[in-house]
Amino acid sequence: MVNVPTTPADILPFIISIITSHTFITLVIFPGMIHLMLASAFLTWYERKLLARIQLRIGPLYAGGPGGILQPVADGVKLIFKEVIIPYKADRTLFTWIPLVLIFLGTLPFAVIPFGMNWVIANLDVGLVFVFATTSVFPSMIIIFAWASNSKYPFIGGLRSLFQQVAYEIPMWISALSVVMLAGSLNLVDIVKAQSKIWFIIPAFLSFIVFFICIMAELERLPFDLPEAEPELVAGWYTEASGAIFMALFLALYLKLYMMSTLTTVLFLGGWWGPSFLPQPVWTIIKTMAVATAIIIPRAIYPRIRVDMLIKIGWTRLLIIALANVFITLLVINSGVLSAWGL
Amino acid sequence: MEIALAVPPDAVFIVLTTITLLAAILALQAKELIYGAIALGISFIGIAGLFILLDAPYLAMLQIAIYVGAVVVLILFTIMLVRREVGEEVVERGERGEGAAGLWIAGLLAVSIAGLAALAGPNLASTPPAGVLSVSELGPVLVTDYPVPLVILALLLSAALLGALMLAKVER
Amino acid sequence: MVALVSYIIVSAALLGIGIYGLSVKRNAIRILFAVEIIVNAANINFAAFTRYLNPPNVSGQVIVFYSIAASAMEAAVGLALILVAFRVNSSIDVRKMDKLKG
Repeated sequence: MVNVPTTPADILPFIISIITSHTFITLVIFPGMIHLMLASAFLTWYERKLLARIQLRIGPLYAGGPGGILQPVADGVKLIFKEVIIPYKADRTLFTWIPLVLIFLGTLPFAVIPFGMNWVIANLDVGLVFVFATTSVFPSMIIIFAWASNSKYPFIGGLRSLFQQVAYEIPMWISALSVVMLAGSLNLVDIVKAQSKIWFIIPAFLSFIVFFICIMAELERLPFDLPEAEPELVAGWYTEASGAIFMALFLALYLKLYMMSTLTTVLFLGGWWGPSFLPQPVWTIIKTMAVATAIIIPRAIYPRIRVDMLIKIGWTRLLIIALANVFITLLVINSGVLSAWGL
Repeated sequence: MEIALAVPPDAVFIVLTTITLLAAILALQAKELIYGAIALGISFIGIAGLFILLDAPYLAMLQIAIYVGAVVVLILFTIMLVRREVGEEVVERGERGEGAAGLWIAGLLAVSIAGLAALAGPNLASTPPAGVLSVSELGPVLVTDYPVPLVILALLLSAALLGALMLAKVER
Repeated sequence: MVALVSYIIVSAALLGIGIYGLSVKRNAIRILFAVEIIVNAANINFAAFTRYLNPPNVSGQVIVFYSIAASAMEAAVGLALILVAFRVNSSIDVRKMDKLKG
């Protein structure tokens, strides 16, 4: 840190210079902590409203503000006041700490995801691998939490969730590989910059489809809802979570949804590029909300996939399509068809 | 890619080393296997941090993705499968002669490290040479200079996959 | 800056911890932990020497890449073996796995 204050009169300008510095703003305010907490809370409200309207209901309405938009605040307050029940002989330390670690893991990929040309916290050269490395730690946290609950339903749900997430991570990585080939770099800022003339969803359409299906499976959303199958497993691996622990988990899950939607936007939908009457971060958020809507809507429409079909689709069909798509992208790049758009 | 740190790298190095070594010791000494597995995961994350300090960010991410993301999951899964009954906790007492063996190894280690630092220390570099190892060099080197190990690695991976599958299959 | 000797000391310390686990512990899974710790010690050693070579050479990182992949494979096969041994002996205590038959 430069200009460390030496006299008391220097402290206030020093603090102001830290608060208005770009690092602080990106770290704490814009794609940082405040924005993430607000986005995660907003997504809970958004999902309930959207599903309600599809099912011809109204959804949250009375919590305050227009359309019940303060509902997440009401939920948070209610959950804080609820009693945290820890099951008999459950592992207390793990039970209380894992949700916090999950929130940490959920916010960690946002350190490299760019929301605008300068709106990125850390411009890592290996940004994409960083995102995948942190999302691959999720299954181990889930199985530790499921084991720490010391109860049958969470354990079975945790194992199913583990199988599902591990199986669908691989086609996700391979379909992102075609994006890396098109952009020529693992740096997320470079990937978005390479989409300035054409969004990658057009040359890599098949890998977009595979990626989208895989993130729906990673997020345990219907139709890949089996770890949370309500008639069978109550709530899957987080059955025993209650009160503040459940609130932390809920926040972490919706953060993961936001992260996957933002990742799809950055990889396939052109990141921040858009007509310049709106600033760049606003375009990113608009596209992210579109992707989040597309992820949430199937929950109201589709039935659930059986567990053996789930594993079969993940390990055989999607993997083959993703691998084939890597070769197709390689052919497309080498044939020079995309040179008009600079790829 | 140069890593710019706001704190001196010595402090970061000492913190990471302490975390790694303590977590490794805890992984072996913890009473319950699951705590040991979690400590092992923390140790791997500490090693990934050391890789980042050594200007190898790609290796650090690979370490986290493969070790913490896959090996620790496998270990946890196996621990859960080798419990004798559901609900019985396998709590381990220490083995006989554990303390003595630990002291012997610590003593040998201290002597060898002291000897190493005294004899070879002055001859080894104390600052890293200028120059950046970029990630974009790793790919071409891997494919151009070392294609045979790459293909052998692929074959080994498929063999290991089939082998593990065959071994763990339950005969019905 | 951190001297090369410090990284070698870290690597040697991890090796020592791994050897301790390998020789003293009787739970097969803890022995696997020790093996993974030893492999990581070797990885740190390679990565440190790669960085401090003059001029910097990326071949050491190739070795570490290979080592991470190979050791993950070996952990998978080792855990499958532990499962099979558990089915045969009903225990993962390595002192009980002393018969060649079965």
